[in-house]
Amino acid sequence: MGEVTSRSKPLQVNPFKLSQPLGATLAFLGVDGCMPLMHGGQGCTSFTKVYFTRHFGEPIAIQTTAISDAVAVLDGGDYSIIEAVRNITAKVKPCLIGLHTTGLPETKGDDLRGVAAQVDFPLVWVNTPDYEGGLESGWALATTALIAQLTESADLIIGEKMVLLPHVSMTPIEVERLRLFIESFGFTVVVMPDLSTSLDGHLGQKQAALSSGGIRVDDISALANANWVMSVGASMKSCAAQLQRKNPALRSLHFSHLHGLQATDALVTALLAASGQARPADSVRRWRARLQDTLLDSHFLLGQTRFLVAAEADQLAGVCAAIGEAGGKVTVALAPTPSPVLAEIKADRVLVGDLEDAEDLATDYDLIVGGGHCEALAHRLGKGFVLRGFPSWEQMGNQLKTDCLYEGGAYFLCEMANEIARMKHHGE
Amino acid sequence: MSTKPNIRELLAESACEHQQPQKKACNLPTPGATTGGCAFEGAQIALFPFADAAHLVHGPITCVGASWETRATLSSWPGRDLTRMGFTTDIGLNDVIFSGEQKLQDAINYIATRYRPQAIFVYATCVTALIGDDIGLICRRATAVHGIPCVPVHAPGLVGSKNLGSRIAGEEVLRHLIGTAEPEQTPPFAINLIGEYNVTGDMWQYSHLLEELGIHVLSTLSGDGRIAAIRAAHRARLNVIVCAKSLISQTRKMQQRYGIPYISLSFYGKRDTSAGLVAIAAALGDEDLLARTRSLVAREEAALEEKLTPYRERFAGKKAVLNTGGNKSWSIAAALQDLGIEVVATAVGKSTEDDRDKAREYLGPHGVLMTKPAQQQAQIIDETGAHLLLAGGRSLYTAIKKGIAFIDVNQEKKKSYGAYSGLLNLAEDVANALDSPVFELVGRRAPWEK
Repeated sequence: MGEVTSRSKPLQVNPFKLSQPLGATLAFLGVDGCMPLMHGGQGCTSFTKVYFTRHFGEPIAIQTTAISDAVAVLDGGDYSIIEAVRNITAKVKPCLIGLHTTGLPETKGDDLRGVAAQVDFPLVWVNTPDYEGGLESGWALATTALIAQLTESADLIIGEKMVLLPHVSMTPIEVERLRLFIESFGFTVVVMPDLSTSLDGHLGQKQAALSSGGIRVDDISALANANWVMSVGASMKSCAAQLQRKNPALRSLHFSHLHGLQATDALVTALLAASGQARPADSVRRWRARLQDTLLDSHFLLGQTRFLVAAEADQLAGVCAAIGEAGGKVTVALAPTPSPVLAEIKADRVLVGDLEDAEDLATDYDLIVGGGHCEALAHRLGKGFVLRGFPSWEQMGNQLKTDCLYEGGAYFLCEMANEIARMKHHGE
Repeated sequence: MSTKPNIRELLAESACEHQQPQKKACNLPTPGATTGGCAFEGAQIALFPFADAAHLVHGPITCVGASWETRATLSSWPGRDLTRMGFTTDIGLNDVIFSGEQKLQDAINYIATRYRPQAIFVYATCVTALIGDDIGLICRRATAVHGIPCVPVHAPGLVGSKNLGSRIAGEEVLRHLIGTAEPEQTPPFAINLIGEYNVTGDMWQYSHLLEELGIHVLSTLSGDGRIAAIRAAHRARLNVIVCAKSLISQTRKMQQRYGIPYISLSFYGKRDTSAGLVAIAAALGDEDLLARTRSLVAREEAALEEKLTPYRERFAGKKAVLNTGGNKSWSIAAALQDLGIEVVATAVGKSTEDDRDKAREYLGPHGVLMTKPAQQQAQIIDETGAHLLLAGGRSLYTAIKKGIAFIDVNQEKKKSYGAYSGLLNLAEDVANALDSPVFELVGRRAPWEK
């Protein structure tokens, strides 16, 4: 564990940082029947829609308040937001409107809270200017807002109920697997926000007018009567704290990530303690043994490989841990935005930066694990490449992948080992 | 003179056919009921294909963070392909409060020193326009310091639609680049291709034919474009607008300023490609060139027909419904007809008057022009017995329910459907879709459904 650094420069070159409003949009897409409404110029929404449509391979529901030049000067948000809600509800009947801002209305100082109070329709609002934070903070801020504005305070608890708060980079199937894993210990789990039933790439009768799948608004209202809240990822800690304010009796569990043997062991230990069970289900024990075996099988290839990992901080922490367990050497761990979790990462260098920084360190690594923008980098530098995180435009099945828990950990190690073998084969 | 383009003037384009004097300006978006990109995106589409120039976006991260590397505009530029790179000042709260001008200036210096581009385009965005950063002044200074053109692009998203942004980009190119250098040589048949962005190599499907005819592409805006070439674009004999009405202001002004006539055409489908080549030759006004073009067109059409024969047999009697927008409502229809497929309906909800007229012309009196395709298409498939639906992903379920083949035309396509050779790509895709078992298979009832 070393010092977290960043290069001082006046710009981002080849950025893999994503904005706060994008994170907030995704969180609202994890709520069933929701219409995410981005308060900004129409382009922010258009870019967001295209970006996620290509990433998830699914139609994406989103609308814009479409601030124009004249409106920007004269309006304090009242006109564009109220008019947008009117126009949306004239066509469709969402269960909820998820209002989130971009830099434009924040620069001119729109009073979101004041306008929201004038809207006679279920609406959650959140300030997410894109000149601050990033994807993780946008997702977390929207989740916190959903809890703060919708969840009713409670003083009773349902013994086996657990609220799961996954970070933004967990794939829909990772979320589903984790829910089933926890349920195998006898809990009933409510996921918030839940992309596992909305953006998991399922064929439905939808026209994408609204989000289809995700946590129901009723379930958000009733979140606080749980016995436990589990947050995964440093970015989600504040969301758990918000929920605990609704019910002081709520007990919390926190994991930085759930990649690899040790993290999953820690999860199982906690679940056994919380449930009072002596042993996990047979399948859990079988998968642990398979991961042990895979660690032994893959350590030879992974152990002689140097890695660049570029990902959102919470995913970065997990991927670096999984690689490290198999003896792989993470020489560069690169995050787009600062996070307290970066200080926990074991790597020669932990950087906050862009893909130009990654390029400048090209002699330090052999294999890149990162999002779609790393592909051109890997190609130009002749490095191996395993696609993880955002965006995934060129490869299929991103939302079906799972790297977490014992089972996903085994798949992930195999995929990296195969890529290393392929590199070596082509290099000779 | 103002250093910024006049937006009202650009909106009131006299050469634009759908411009009615009493009509409300078409750039007022409706809150909560707006789709499509902003002016910045339009500027980006028009200029990013210059791979030898750096494109620096002065704004917060959304503008370029969510958009770089999204368009497959191919380039043969031998240096570092800057169109596949993202540059942004990524302004933060401090810049919003205290101005981002110093950061912008430093960023330009950084790029000029490290990447040595032929030019730097600097894009204003909503936030930096609102806080009043003077990108015009910073660009003027940087041009003097670095000896390469630094072009301010005043198309922040809030000024309007994608279309307007492309116009503004054309205006900036006209103000800052065109006419600032002389070409090494001016062959007799020198043309500019305006609005051809070489997406998936569309331009390369026909550029070799122009070359064979001795028609010299002096410059492009901006597919496989070069800054040195666009600076000398004022020496062309003809401007050819390819499928892009938004840049008509620029070509009209080039006609006024430099006396260069312009024509507008499309290279989609066999008939449009042939007509386009002949139109260029005719506009260049050389009898011999025209004769040679006619024989080249005849040769290419004959060669294409031969390759299409097996497909035509396969496609005989097939009917298609097309649900897309803009010029695709007729250009893809024309291409499908060239393959021997009957296009029974096309969507015109988002098309201009001009596009609607063209769609009517291609589909004939019995074709349906759908204004509400989402509601209409299922019924039309039933009534006509269509075999194929070409639409965006959200219509997939309609095709599955009707048990017919589906092609996603709105996804960023991977290969070119342009000109003669692109038609073969389209034919291959259509054949694969019609032959595929998946549409019927996924429509199968689950074992637990009665």
